[in-house]
Amino acid sequence: MNPTINDDVEIIEEAEEEPKAKKLSKKALMKSFHTWYYGHLTCFSQEHMQTFGYLCAMLPLIEELYPNDEDKQAEAMETYTAFFNTEPQLGTVIVGMNAGLEESRANGNQEMDSETINGLRAGLMGPIAGIGDSLVVGTVIPILLGIALGMSSGGSPLGAIFYIVAWNLFAYFGMRFLYVKGYEMGGKAVDFLIGAQGEALRDAISVLGGMVIGAVSATWVSVTTSLQLLNDEGEAFLVLQDKLDEVFPGMLTAIFIFACWWLMAKKGMSPIKVMLLLVVIAFLGVLVGFFDPGLSY
Amino acid sequence: MTISWFQAILLGLFASLSSMPGMGGSSIGNYTLGRPLVGGLVCGIILGDIASGILVGTAMQIVYIALVTPGGTVSADVRAVSYIGIPLAMVALSSYGLSADTTEGAALATSFGTMVGTLGTVLFYGTATLNLAWQHVGWRAVEERKFHRLYMVDMGLPWISHLLFSFIPTVIMCKLGANVVDAIKNYLPMDGIAMKTLFTVGSILPCVGIAILLKQIVRSYTDFVPFLFGFVFAAALGVNLVCATIIAAMFAMLFYQIKMNQLTTNAQPAADDFYDDDEEDI
Repeated sequence: MNPTINDDVEIIEEAEEEPKAKKLSKKALMKSFHTWYYGHLTCFSQEHMQTFGYLCAMLPLIEELYPNDEDKQAEAMETYTAFFNTEPQLGTVIVGMNAGLEESRANGNQEMDSETINGLRAGLMGPIAGIGDSLVVGTVIPILLGIALGMSSGGSPLGAIFYIVAWNLFAYFGMRFLYVKGYEMGGKAVDFLIGAQGEALRDAISVLGGMVIGAVSATWVSVTTSLQLLNDEGEAFLVLQDKLDEVFPGMLTAIFIFACWWLMAKKGMSPIKVMLLLVVIAFLGVLVGFFDPGLSY
Repeated sequence: MTISWFQAILLGLFASLSSMPGMGGSSIGNYTLGRPLVGGLVCGIILGDIASGILVGTAMQIVYIALVTPGGTVSADVRAVSYIGIPLAMVALSSYGLSADTTEGAALATSFGTMVGTLGTVLFYGTATLNLAWQHVGWRAVEERKFHRLYMVDMGLPWISHLLFSFIPTVIMCKLGANVVDAIKNYLPMDGIAMKTLFTVGSILPCVGIAILLKQIVRSYTDFVPFLFGFVFAAALGVNLVCATIIAAMFAMLFYQIKMNQLTTNAQPAADDFYDDDEEDI
């Protein structure tokens, strides 16, 4: 897929053949991972986003690789002052891979300079963010929430507890796995994610996600109209909601969802503008009697 | 229902932990405590009515089922939704004498939460902007090679941003909000146009949440087919979510295997790339 990543894997392998190579301890790797796991976004700003989380995650590694060598430490830290932002859960693989790159540099690999490392990091931020957003935020979380909502209907805390446990186990162990794989496999781990096999997996998961979201919408969202036409005796001869449901149940809900999607995806409207538009539509709908929640004291 | 100072302070603390650049970290803070369903449980425990909290949280969760923040732009702030919106919606419901279990109750909760959540984006930009000051301290630390200060910059100093933009606003709004809710109730009768609109908006808003999610996975119009397939399963056949997920997993598996077959027959060399390694353990 990406020639620069493949080249890089070879570089790591060459470095590993050298005798008495520096090796990161499991303790340092785990400290780095936990720092990333917790701190990747705690000091967020629009200007630097995850940069400080990244610096903190690299610090334990750099201290171990260059003990008592302040100049080398400073040089390495300087590398990671460059801007970084991606989807943080999946992006853990980049941090893990980077641990391997830094190890390679510490072992005297001349080609592994700051520029190379930053080039690789910058090149991966975008693709990983795209996959991560659709996979983690767009599929896994909605599925877990969808199941949890079902368990919590009627006000039971069970669903919320299920979500807390399931999501956190998934996030912690998933991120840990990605970090370790990123370190062990280097560019190959990333190749898997953005390569052809990864793409097939991703497409399959978005089919899964699409269907589950469909079921979530039909179960939890309900847009209904109160519009009806009355005959002379005041009896309704056309109840629009029933007619629409005859075509297929929940049709009005599906139409509204499609319209919102169309406005945002095809017309480039921001979610806030769409929400404001819905307020206007709701207001007009109430005025003409299309919507009526049917409330009174 | 009223909110005491002590309860408001607890809510303020949770608001600081959750949110996008929250002090709980994104996995525990934003994606766990920030989700309205979990927020509903927490608020329910704090305010002493777990069932109402969960019901209100459930209603709001639909709107924010996929709060994606691509490139750090937010359309709503979860700390405001979960720890200002939910408590105030609970107060509003009890003041209107509505149960969160009803469609009307859920609609009121939803429009309340969304309103607060949208206003809450101010808090998001406030926090992110103040963090710039701490990051400035961080750059100095890198220059002076006092690297350990970075931990303080990343995980300590942002608490000050949250004190100002999460804790204090939450405490004040939860404390004063209850009076405002009462005032709204006196001025806006439930069968008036304003309240009817509010309720209607509440029932339509979840469509935006779902649409934001669809934006992530739908690339062409044909990608709507799986969505509608799942929709029809639940709407017409009454299949519940766990069953729908299993059916969907079956289709996803078939899809994956078809794709993989295509890969192995068409692109032999590309597929080989993945397995030619002999890596070592840590």
